[in-house]
Amino acid sequence: MYRSDFCMAGVFRDAYLFRDYLRLRALFLLICLLAVFIYLIRYFKLISAYPPSFFGTPSVADLCGGVIFGIGMVLGGGCMLSTLYKLGSGHTVSAITFCGALFGGFVSAAFYPLFRSFASSTVLIENKTALEHIVGSIGAPVLVTSLLAVSLALRWIKKGGWSQPAYARGYLPLWKASIIMALVIAPMVAFSGRPLAVSTGYAKLSGLLGGLFLPTLTGKLAFFHIEAPRLLYGHIMNGGAAPVLDSVALTQFSLMAGVVSGSFISSLKLGEFKITRLPPRRQAFSAFFGGMLMAAGALMAGGCNLWHLIGGLPLFALQSMVFALGIAGGAFLGAVFIKKAVIRQTK
Amino acid sequence: MKKHTDAGKNIVLDIRGQICPACLMITLRELNSNKDKLKNEKARLVVKTDHRDATRTIPGAASAMGYSVSVLQRDRYYEITLEYGK
Repeated sequence: MYRSDFCMAGVFRDAYLFRDYLRLRALFLLICLLAVFIYLIRYFKLISAYPPSFFGTPSVADLCGGVIFGIGMVLGGGCMLSTLYKLGSGHTVSAITFCGALFGGFVSAAFYPLFRSFASSTVLIENKTALEHIVGSIGAPVLVTSLLAVSLALRWIKKGGWSQPAYARGYLPLWKASIIMALVIAPMVAFSGRPLAVSTGYAKLSGLLGGLFLPTLTGKLAFFHIEAPRLLYGHIMNGGAAPVLDSVALTQFSLMAGVVSGSFISSLKLGEFKITRLPPRRQAFSAFFGGMLMAAGALMAGGCNLWHLIGGLPLFALQSMVFALGIAGGAFLGAVFIKKAVIRQTK
Repeated sequence: MKKHTDAGKNIVLDIRGQICPACLMITLRELNSNKDKLKNEKARLVVKTDHRDATRTIPGAASAMGYSVSVLQRDRYYEITLEYGK
């Protein structure tokens, strides 16, 4: 991610602001490859618990969560995952976004019961969580997606739309990063039985820090007591935002630490690691507020862009499709705002 | 953001540490506001950035506007020089 700068906030933002669709194509490639790989994994019965039980029924809360998350990731200069790799390479602005996400996770935990009741009262399709529940089989959506992906890929190859010269040392073209990520993520999904996620890890970290500095208030927030059984690596393990060692701590903290340390090593190796100077005040505020919005959006939609776009879309989860619509709209609003209010005024 | 004109008529734009997508937006703004100087007085715009992606987006956009581009890795940042024509 670091070498190619595979920033999912940039996917939508750059398409709107600069008509730069390179990252959008790379994300599309990644999702399509994962859809095919995960279909094959299911076909060969390497995953037992399917259709996925970890995605809920789609609701208006997923759409609103996506919009809020989309605005937040553009204002924050990166999504929850890309903030981590930028943080690992020393970007101070990403550290501010990270702190905003932790603070936002703590604040929005107070609204968790409200978010849940909003989600349960605005369900769009009852008792259906994935497209296969509607069309009866997953084969047809995968086939249609594959054909669409191949035809678009050939068209983009013809027009030279897969790569653009980049001069950064050790630059990895985005399409190569997509293939590598798909090859890494698909077996991880097969082995663990769950898509990758980081937003509960952020929330858990918020709860841990809240417990240190504001123990009484943190203890009163129901969200920080939630532990639910999850299927992981063939075992039922508890997981949630509660500040205890559980499946979330094992998987999401590991992923977070892995991304930060991976980009740290990569940036050191490329001679790029540096704790950057503080951004202008307006940008710093935007980064912190963006982080807060991301945490709130992820809590409302039951997951961040990693969970829904990279995890849910390849499984054709309805909740993730609704979230994707929201994030696209939110990123547009964020792009308009950052152009008019954040960067334009920066002197 | 720091900006100055050096002895060799280069407009030096230091946008290190800024949020994405500031690098490209500020560079495009400077290219437009200094268009005459860059075209008629043979001045160059030198951008200092620590965003890796700017080494893709700035050269791409500037080339499309008729600028030649050179990129050098300095001490933990990149220096992108844009010169009209050439």
